[in-house]
Amino acid sequence: MVLNDRTLGVAALLLSAFLAWFGHGLEAAFTYEPVGPRAFPLLLATVIGLCGLRLVVKGGNPAAPNPPGANSRIALMVALVLVYAGLFQWAGFVLATAVVSACVGRLFGGSWLQCGIGGTSLSVLFYVLFDRLLDVVLPLGWLEGLL
Amino acid sequence: MSAMLDNLSLGFGVAFSGTNLLVALIGSFFGTIVGVLPGLGPTNGVAMLVPIAFAMGLPPDTALILLAAVYVGAEYGGRITSILINVPGEAAAVMTTLDGYPLARQGLGSVALSLSAWSSFVGSLIAIVGIAAFAPFLAQWALAFGPAEYFVLMVFAFCALTSLLGEQPIKGVLAAAIGLSIATIGVDANSGVYRYTFDIPHLADGLDFVVVVIGLFAVAEMLQMLENKLSGQSVEVPPSQRKLFNLRELRLTSGSTIRGSLLGFVMGVLPGAGASVASAVAYANEKRYIEDKDPDAKFGQGDMRGLAAPEAANNSAATGSFIPMLTLGIPGSGTTAVMMGALTLYNITPGPVLFEQQPALVWGLIASLLIANVMLLVMNIPMVRVFASLLSIPGWLLVPGILAISFIGVYAISATTFDLMAVVAIGVIGYLLRKLQMPMAPMVLGVVLGTMMEQNLRRALSITNGDVTILWASTVCTILWVLAAAVVLGPMGYRQLAKRRRAQETAP
Repeated sequence: MVLNDRTLGVAALLLSAFLAWFGHGLEAAFTYEPVGPRAFPLLLATVIGLCGLRLVVKGGNPAAPNPPGANSRIALMVALVLVYAGLFQWAGFVLATAVVSACVGRLFGGSWLQCGIGGTSLSVLFYVLFDRLLDVVLPLGWLEGLL
Repeated sequence: MSAMLDNLSLGFGVAFSGTNLLVALIGSFFGTIVGVLPGLGPTNGVAMLVPIAFAMGLPPDTALILLAAVYVGAEYGGRITSILINVPGEAAAVMTTLDGYPLARQGLGSVALSLSAWSSFVGSLIAIVGIAAFAPFLAQWALAFGPAEYFVLMVFAFCALTSLLGEQPIKGVLAAAIGLSIATIGVDANSGVYRYTFDIPHLADGLDFVVVVIGLFAVAEMLQMLENKLSGQSVEVPPSQRKLFNLRELRLTSGSTIRGSLLGFVMGVLPGAGASVASAVAYANEKRYIEDKDPDAKFGQGDMRGLAAPEAANNSAATGSFIPMLTLGIPGSGTTAVMMGALTLYNITPGPVLFEQQPALVWGLIASLLIANVMLLVMNIPMVRVFASLLSIPGWLLVPGILAISFIGVYAISATTFDLMAVVAIGVIGYLLRKLQMPMAPMVLGVVLGTMMEQNLRRALSITNGDVTILWASTVCTILWVLAAAVVLGPMGYRQLAKRRRAQETAP
């Protein structure tokens, strides 16, 4: 898929349609004011739609293509961040951060040894700093019984 | 005058408390680091710290001082990489590369660094004096604003932001509208109707602005960093001899510094113009002005005046952008929009009454800005080498660090996996939008102002029972509409003029 202003315009039109479709039925059961909850979202849907239309008609401005192999790595990075989001509460901050940091580090060119040590120290250091020193409570997850 | 001194002494009383001084020092230091790291700018730094400051239970004045110090620190830090390796550490430092890097190539790197630290300091100082002098009057005047005036003021803010931001104002409008629609998610306060929540309980209170901001600025940034790394951006560090600028260089640049500061302040006060626009305009202005008078000027090849003017303007604008946030409740830049979001976490709504209700907060912030700037000046001259060595932190350690801090912040606010997932989704969308050259600042502004804008519109129309003429009935409204039209049409006309002039030059 080519990323350019036309793609952006199509996306804007879809968003506009989405907002309008789920927005047109917004009615208050009873109301004291002349403008209800529906007007503002529909106004925005119109603005987004008009912008989208203009971008579709005009087109151009293709985004610079990523270097070969970049897209798959960026997708991998997104997957890792999603895994991090999933593990954060369940497995706990320390474990999730250590594992995901090591993998993300690999994507940025570290060796397994560097990333392993880096990820583990980062997670322990941040846990002590935030949870113990700064009172920002972090989940312990699977380590709950151990610490 | 005496009222101003009273206020300032109140402010210094707040700022000189042990905690607040320490927080200002930590903030300045952290901000400089964030500014130095390419890709991370003031908005990223402030966005990462907002939830953490809140979760730590910092009182609002301390939290605001921390964020403000980070903001100013990042504006100082951004210039370091611009000068040393020709990579702007943040958007407002782009202009600094034009003459800063050539200076470094001539072996004057340290001179350029100390001189630009001085210009930055002067810029901030002038802007702080400006805030102390003008902000209370503006707040007094804004007290008379009704809902219609507020609504039009916000329209003006969006016009200013989108038209000054870039080549394609339409994308700014689109970004602003998307941000405003994000703000409509959740229960409508007036009618109790659920809007765009799709029966997901997490969405009933709307999408927290921290989630949006961390997604757009931290996650999207990391993806961008990965892309940049894969396209192989290299760095080289040039040598440098003399450390400090001398008196002759100070005298040569003082005019440029003052002009840059004044221009920057005016640009900063305008909602939306912000530091990057101010530094660009200051550079262009100074180049034209000096080249007319001095045929020996060598802008673009290491002229110190070309370094001083944008740096002064950049810091002056960053500081000046506090004015619209504090007095009108309309942030002047992406970063102050994030800060305003932080204040709403504390249930403090910035606006004209802030000066009356929370004088300690406002004047403490103003005094802290001054203190943070002194700290930064002192810190920057001897410690430049230390900050520059940050560049050798490898990506495999830096990026996981950013990721962890961002997630800690989001989790600290809501403690749900749902919000973390939402951050990732918004981050991916943000990355794609950036590739399509969509500006992020209007979107953040939209998220922060959305509810207020809609409420004011509805309130205004309730007064007249649906008659829209109230939106341009008062003098203030009319003036604001005219200003809005001017900021939209002005740059457009200027661009047309420049195009025509260029065409004339090429065709003799």
